[in-house]
Amino acid sequence: MRIMRKNYLFGSGGRWQRLTPIFLLLPGVLLYFLIALGPSIATSVYSFTDASGLKGAPVNWVGFDNYKEFLFQGMASRDNIAATLRTLQFSALVTFIQFTLGLIMAVVLNQNLRGRTFFRTLFFLPVILGVVIQGLMWKLFLLPRGGPMATIFGWLGIQSEFLGGLPSEAFMWVIVVQIWANVGITMVIFLSGMQTISEELYEAARIDGASNWQLFRHVTWPQLTPAINTNFLLNIVGSLQAWQLFYVLLGYKNGTQVLGYLVFAQGFGQTGSSTGFRQGFAAAASIVLFFLVLIIGFAANKVVSWREQRYM
Amino acid sequence: MTQKLNTLIGILTGGDSASARSRRLKVLSYLFLGILAVFYLWPLFMLIITSLKPLTEYLKDPAGLPTAPSLANFAEAWELANFPRYLLNSAYYTATATVIFIVSSLFVAFPIARDYFKGSNIILTLYVIALFLPPALIPQFQLILNMGLYNTRPGYILLFLINPIGMIIIVNYIKSIPRELDEAAAVDGAGYLRYVLTIVFPLIRPAIATVTVLHAIGIWNEVILPTIYLTNADLYPITRGLIVFQGVYGNNWPGIAAAVLMLMLPILILFMFLQRYIISGLTAGAVKG
Repeated sequence: MRIMRKNYLFGSGGRWQRLTPIFLLLPGVLLYFLIALGPSIATSVYSFTDASGLKGAPVNWVGFDNYKEFLFQGMASRDNIAATLRTLQFSALVTFIQFTLGLIMAVVLNQNLRGRTFFRTLFFLPVILGVVIQGLMWKLFLLPRGGPMATIFGWLGIQSEFLGGLPSEAFMWVIVVQIWANVGITMVIFLSGMQTISEELYEAARIDGASNWQLFRHVTWPQLTPAINTNFLLNIVGSLQAWQLFYVLLGYKNGTQVLGYLVFAQGFGQTGSSTGFRQGFAAAASIVLFFLVLIIGFAANKVVSWREQRYM
Repeated sequence: MTQKLNTLIGILTGGDSASARSRRLKVLSYLFLGILAVFYLWPLFMLIITSLKPLTEYLKDPAGLPTAPSLANFAEAWELANFPRYLLNSAYYTATATVIFIVSSLFVAFPIARDYFKGSNIILTLYVIALFLPPALIPQFQLILNMGLYNTRPGYILLFLINPIGMIIIVNYIKSIPRELDEAAAVDGAGYLRYVLTIVFPLIRPAIATVTVLHAIGIWNEVILPTIYLTNADLYPITRGLIVFQGVYGNNWPGIAAAVLMLMLPILILFMFLQRYIISGLTAGAVKG
């Protein structure tokens, strides 16, 4: 690495002085390679081994065995494939609902309403509280006997075990909490996008007699393209990788696992059975997740560029 | 009451003049916000009332108001689970890792922003790429384990010394500072180190504040990494302490609620003062596309 003299202005002194920026840059960059980039790349290498989490334990090369086990071993692969499909289901539902709800919230709060700052702050708050608080708050809220949600359900004449019920039901509640926790950020991104739309466009459309729906359809929606694209991509990629709320709300419960949780549970012996740390297998699972994110992210990006061509 | 209700129904079904329509829209908006707000305020309210009543009362009537509110649960949770230690640990991890991250990033970001090296853009690209690579969880663990840093404070802090998005925000902000300033400082005989620390650093304060808050909240709220890396209870941050506490005292929700509120308080205080930076950090670059 050499300093380009035309850009560096402080080195009138000796050679050492000119090297100062490099010395100061190195710690940061080395840390980055050591903790982030290196391990990230090494994940694919580990996925071909039978690495465990024990210090000094031998690590053997096993070729594609982990991938075979993940995908093509009949009964043994069944749970993994189910977790993969569930991840897609989770992501589709969360993305669709969070995107739509966040957009409606932003449209409503972009009006000149009294108390809108309060509502914005309130809906945004869970974003910064983190999964432990989000999760425990909802565990309490969803207590099957005497909890607030049970009371609301009681008014409607419904009985539910909520998180303790059937896996499919518990899974739905995690989706609810996931959206509750993150819709605030979607809303804020939409709102800051709406603030960049010029009021004159609305004025002109109103003079032409546009209805509220037409204003939204023909002014807000096209003009909001950057924020729409950001939220669309963020929601898809974020929900494919999200699993911490499953950990706090349910633990590793059969019939509710998603891929991200499977990686953690297999790699760090949290599956509840005594299989130990299966880090090679976990690495393979995280490569599967990576490709899932890559393919879906790529497809989503196509949609995004199509929209950009149409509206911008 | 009936009269009010009649007015409301009148607004919702009434005429189709522009003012009637806009009033209808307003009522519907508040209705929507109100229903939504219930699901944000009620869990919080439930947490607070639960924390204020004794266990026996809670078991009889979980959702009711406390008859004799007391702070006993807070004192109890404080003693039972070593929460002072957990809070201190969290504060220590958050502060140390954030300071090291910010200072080291400043010196990575400045040369990149000023294009000091032939490959400075490549370095930035590597930071962007990391956002799309597979998670580093497994090899990271092997690395920490083999460095002998498993279950230690330095090992845990090491995990939080990088943040690609934060780095990108800082680089972009430095680019907005005119190069003429560098020239002027160089002519005045300032050294590189002094220039970056005493002139650039104060100038990019908004970006630093945003990134600091973003990074610190992430560390404070982290729960998976302490589960993986810290088995010694003396080293637990508050998040991990709380999960373990909840596992042990399963149905003592008054105690758990009190503990959750203790974890929440520092974040809420921070949020009140730094809301602007938090929101700008979380939405950075999102709208420009």
